[in-house]
Amino acid sequence: MVSNRSSLAAVALAATMSMALAPARAADELRYPDLNGQWSRAHAHSQWDPSKPRGLAQQAPLTPEYQAIFAANLASLHAGNLGSDPQVYCLPSGMPRMMIAYEPMEVIVTPETTYIRVDHLNEFRRIYTDGRGWPAEIKPTFDGYSIGRWIDRHGNGRYDLLEVETRGMKGPRTLDADGLALHKDNRTVVKERIQLDSANRDLLHDEITTTDDAFTRPWTVTRDYNREPHPVWPEFLCTEANNHIPIGKEFYFRSGDGYLMPAYKDQPPPDLRNFTPSR
Amino acid sequence: MRYPSLIVLIALAAASAMPPPAARALDDLSKYPDLKGQWQRIGPNRWESRENKAPLTPEYRAVYQDNLDRMEAGGVGDMASWYCLPQGMPMMMSLYDPMEVVVTPQVTYVLISHVNDSYRRIYTDGRDWPAEGEYERTFAGYSIGRWLDENGDGRYNVLEVETRDFKGPRVYDGTGLPLHHDNQTIVKERIHLDKSDPNILYDDLTVIDNALTRPWSITKKAGRVPNPKPMWQTAVCAENNSMVRIGKDAYYMSQEGYLMPLKKDQPPPDLRFFKPSPK
Repeated sequence: MVSNRSSLAAVALAATMSMALAPARAADELRYPDLNGQWSRAHAHSQWDPSKPRGLAQQAPLTPEYQAIFAANLASLHAGNLGSDPQVYCLPSGMPRMMIAYEPMEVIVTPETTYIRVDHLNEFRRIYTDGRGWPAEIKPTFDGYSIGRWIDRHGNGRYDLLEVETRGMKGPRTLDADGLALHKDNRTVVKERIQLDSANRDLLHDEITTTDDAFTRPWTVTRDYNREPHPVWPEFLCTEANNHIPIGKEFYFRSGDGYLMPAYKDQPPPDLRNFTPSR
Repeated sequence: MRYPSLIVLIALAAASAMPPPAARALDDLSKYPDLKGQWQRIGPNRWESRENKAPLTPEYRAVYQDNLDRMEAGGVGDMASWYCLPQGMPMMMSLYDPMEVVVTPQVTYVLISHVNDSYRRIYTDGRDWPAEGEYERTFAGYSIGRWLDENGDGRYNVLEVETRDFKGPRVYDGTGLPLHHDNQTIVKERIHLDKSDPNILYDDLTVIDNALTRPWSITKKAGRVPNPKPMWQTAVCAENNSMVRIGKDAYYMSQEGYLMPLKKDQPPPDLRFFKPSPK
């Protein structure tokens, strides 16, 4: 009787224990917000601060040196030149500009890492949320090295905010197509607060604060994204359709029928010194 | 008898009180193999071997031989990734750079940063093939997968995948071993861990293609890097690519930024759109 009772108790206890441990792991998974799906930028235009018009009206807190660089680039663009936008020759936007999400964005949340993929120029971020510290040495990339922390602000057992810090960028990078420049020293630090809208679970906010030596103070903007109910994933291949050809320090155009063309009036042709002269 | 009954009742009550989503999440997560970490290729990246030649049709054997002849003469051959286009399927599974596999119940993501970031979504949510307008043809194709529990032990051990809806040009490897230009390729895969070594991953690939006389099977092998926090690189093809394509011809860019011929006596590009330089 005692034996039966003990064994039944043991079985019941084991069942209860396994139930208790298993849901703990499952509950851990359920603590994360649902960020699945395809996110498209909510702002029609792609200037860095979506709340202000483009160009000088962005009122970027640039140092006098970088304000002059920006003004010179705008003048160059108005004159018909390509300007300093690295995307022209298929370089990625890097951080923080990639969060403009020129093409749809996907967010994949796992306990250890949150992945952000934007199809435009194949941009891809790993945000480590496994509690690691900054590595002793970071090999710089356009998208940088990101460490994040999930926060349960309401104390209800569910995370509702992802705080991220990103460092270790390389350049050249700008903040938008007008050539709003980041400092050439690439010491940019980007802090983000990523969260779903409290009233609309299909609206995502990213509050982005950029600290950079081209700025007189940190600059905060908020970008929003809408979840697409029926996503079709594109494959954006810059090099497939790009008709800008860099040769040396010059850019040329490729015509529709495959001939090299000048990109601006009176542009000299490329130096062909390495070819055998035709007879 | 009352005590065991009470304990059993408590256990059953505890079990039934578990919220269904948690139970579902637990079931989902515990059934999948651990594919975390960084995977690197083991073995050659070429597809043909002495024992396993591609069963090319006579037409495509001639296409291949023509490509080999052009490469022998100094050309770059038919590998589109020279011009920063993605390798696509199935070439990307040769893992020219490390791979990450992210398993979620709905989608398994295959992430490889080579040329640019290559990205596969293998849908395991039970969906059927999309109708026209619900997908775009891509180099990586559209993949539908199914997890199998072949040992009947309650855990998945094989991911069966079928991939269709490609675009091109695509080849198998750097020798330019061709796939048919109609892009009707179908790739079937069985992805699984080694039974005795969970740090070895196999991808058994079978390619069905109109350039082949029969389906062609090959196994690719990868090893898990021991470092649990591996460094991930970001390949940006446009950053350092020294190949320039103008019209149908390829040229080389010297370190000094001068256009150079790729092969002996290659004529320079046609400069008809430039003003003649004053004599």
